[in-house]
Amino acid sequence: MQALTVLYDPECGLCRRAHEWLADQSKIIELKFVACASDEARKRYPQLNHDLTKKDLTVVDDEGWVYFGPKAWLMVLWALARYREWSYRLAAPELLPTTKRVVSMISQNRYQIGRAAGLNS
Amino acid sequence: MTIGISTYLIYLAISIALTIWVARTLHKNGRVFLVDVFHGNEALADSVNHLLVVGFYLINFGYVTLALKLGYAVTSAEQSIEALSVKVGMVLLVLGGMHFFNLFIFSRMRRRSHAQPNNHPPVNPDTFTATAVHQEA
Repeated sequence: MQALTVLYDPECGLCRRAHEWLADQSKIIELKFVACASDEARKRYPQLNHDLTKKDLTVVDDEGWVYFGPKAWLMVLWALARYREWSYRLAAPELLPTTKRVVSMISQNRYQIGRAAGLNS
Repeated sequence: MTIGISTYLIYLAISIALTIWVARTLHKNGRVFLVDVFHGNEALADSVNHLLVVGFYLINFGYVTLALKLGYAVTSAEQSIEALSVKVGMVLLVLGGMHFFNLFIFSRMRRRSHAQPNNHPPVNPDTFTATAVHQEA
């Protein structure tokens, strides 16, 4: 695996902030950012369910394997040199349910969180 | 020499001897671990080993020095032995704690250096989609 394509929500302040943060991190695997449900995304992945990618973060690897929601977050962590170990820790059977709950909660409330943090300018 | 001063001197003698003994044990037996951690780089292992032992000496002698004061007058041999038992007992516990802390550091370093290569993704994919990478260029 050489690269991950991250289909993110460009309308959410929290996601844009996360994008900036990710851009600064040193990566083991290249991350490409494409706005979800955009023409670019549809062109790249003609068969993907693009309504689903609007609901939650989606990551596609260079072979075409798709990761939705909490799994997509873990894959992004895994791509970062400093956080690869954390991705395994959070994906361990003991922690995975909690990880999924927390990530889903953040993801579903991303507009409110972004507004509360003043990121939705 | 009063009994108070001899109590202090005996305390110092026992504590210093114990500290040196534990530090030597650590130095001698920790080396094997460190050589393994640094994949046979003996110079680096010896250097780290030495630095660890210096820290060990500093913390223990620091504790021994700070804990010297008794706070009451010792007038009999009985009192002297009782005072020594408390003081030397505390030194032993601190040495034991430090020793286990060092062992913990050694084993953690070893585990880290022997960690499996982590090239597999942490989770399984949800689905598969055809990619149009060739259109990208």
